[in-house]
Amino acid sequence: MKALYIASSGMSAQERNVEVISNNIANMRTTGYKKQRAEFQDLLYQSYRRAGASTSDQGTMVPAGLEIGSGVKTSATPRVMSQGSVSPTEKELDIAIRGEGYFAVQMPDGSTAYTRDGSFERSPEGEIVTVDGYPVQPGITLPDGATGVSISTDGIVEAFLPGATAPAQMGQLQVARFVNKAGLESAGDNLFRETAASGPAQIVTPNQDGAGALLQGYLEMSNVNAVTEIADLIAAQRAYEMNARVVSGADQMLQATSQLR
Amino acid sequence: MENAQLISLSRQMALQRQMDVVANNLANINTTGFKGEQILFEQYLMPVARDKDFTYPDQPLHYVEDWATIHDMSNGAITLTGNPLDVALNGEGFLTVSTPAGDRYTRSGALQISNEGTLVDIDGNPVMAEGGQVQFDDSDTDITISPTGVISTNNGTKGRLAIVEFASPEMLTREGNNLYAAMDGTEGLPATRTKVAQGAIERSNVSGVAEMTEMIRVSRAYESIANTMQKQDDMRRTAIQRLGSEANA
Repeated sequence: MKALYIASSGMSAQERNVEVISNNIANMRTTGYKKQRAEFQDLLYQSYRRAGASTSDQGTMVPAGLEIGSGVKTSATPRVMSQGSVSPTEKELDIAIRGEGYFAVQMPDGSTAYTRDGSFERSPEGEIVTVDGYPVQPGITLPDGATGVSISTDGIVEAFLPGATAPAQMGQLQVARFVNKAGLESAGDNLFRETAASGPAQIVTPNQDGAGALLQGYLEMSNVNAVTEIADLIAAQRAYEMNARVVSGADQMLQATSQLR
Repeated sequence: MENAQLISLSRQMALQRQMDVVANNLANINTTGFKGEQILFEQYLMPVARDKDFTYPDQPLHYVEDWATIHDMSNGAITLTGNPLDVALNGEGFLTVSTPAGDRYTRSGALQISNEGTLVDIDGNPVMAEGGQVQFDDSDTDITISPTGVISTNNGTKGRLAIVEFASPEMLTREGNNLYAAMDGTEGLPATRTKVAQGAIERSNVSGVAEMTEMIRVSRAYESIANTMQKQDDMRRTAIQRLGSEANA
């Protein structure tokens, strides 16, 4: 009675699906969050009768085979990398990327992580850092008393130094691009890490060669759409229930068998 | 006397198989591009076993045999995802993917780009365009896929998805991982009636209601045939007891 195991594979797949959906909903208000989607695949088929096998020596053959599947598996949870909406914050170090690219962040262990979350702050030393205090790369330091920080769409950071009448260039923000951004590994804290699947990061100037433009004073919201998530949640929950019904249906059949004398 | 038991057994085995098919359909109710299966039965005339209790005519015995599973190739619901690399096929065509075992066909259009910039399916098998794989480079953005399957970026056209249609989709064998294999001699023809929708995926075409009804029907049929077997058993026991007591008397 394979039906029991097939239905249980369906239940565990839908459970996974609900987990992914609930994580999306939980991160609906997370800056720069990209939603995930669970992708499923059918498992191997057992072929009892193959299509195309000959049924006589006159050349007739089986027109449709008898194949019975063995359930479902979760194959991947790719991120949907569409642009989230940008919302104004009027904070000078909030930066949204409109288009492709990630900010590079230097982690305490010396490695580099990547993020779309551009809610930056000044460290006590004046360095531009993430909300967790990790320096943004390439490192830009705003000296004491620097005011009127402006960041252009192509990443040039300018500020007025005390006593100066014209802004001075403080540095150039850059963004990282990946051939396969869906292959980035999620590291939590809105950070991603490069993997063999994503390919190496290419550091490029914003607003050039297909890289996105920087928007100062804006943050990118998550790209989670509540309506579609709730619809997916309902579908997943119902699918789970139906698979559970199959388990009890198969159980009834087994019961009928065991009651035979 | 045993014949009734054997006929019931053939029916029970067929019903178990049918339950497996229903379970597999329901397990894949959220699988991208999944096509439901239906099982067909036929009667099997048992040429040897005959009921000799009737003088005329001899009744041949009809066993049940599961005979084929057919793919329900109707389109599943198309849902928008907003992901530029998701494609749904509207029509009967299949995408061609190149696996280590040869070309395979799929309706699952959740495509990805590999670390080398190749267009691949979710398992990393290259998705074929007419004349080879689709290769993107670093500067490609704004990927668009036209209704006819032409892939283009800001740097121009990259190729046209090799979408094929089959005269008889029943001849396709399911291989798992959303892939179908074509038998030798049944190569697909370039699609003429299939349209590509970008930013959408095709859901499974399994209908929850129909499968649940089918499941209830199967499990009830199973119970009733089990009941019949019980009755036959009782009948035989009664016969043995009564004949035995007659002999003793």
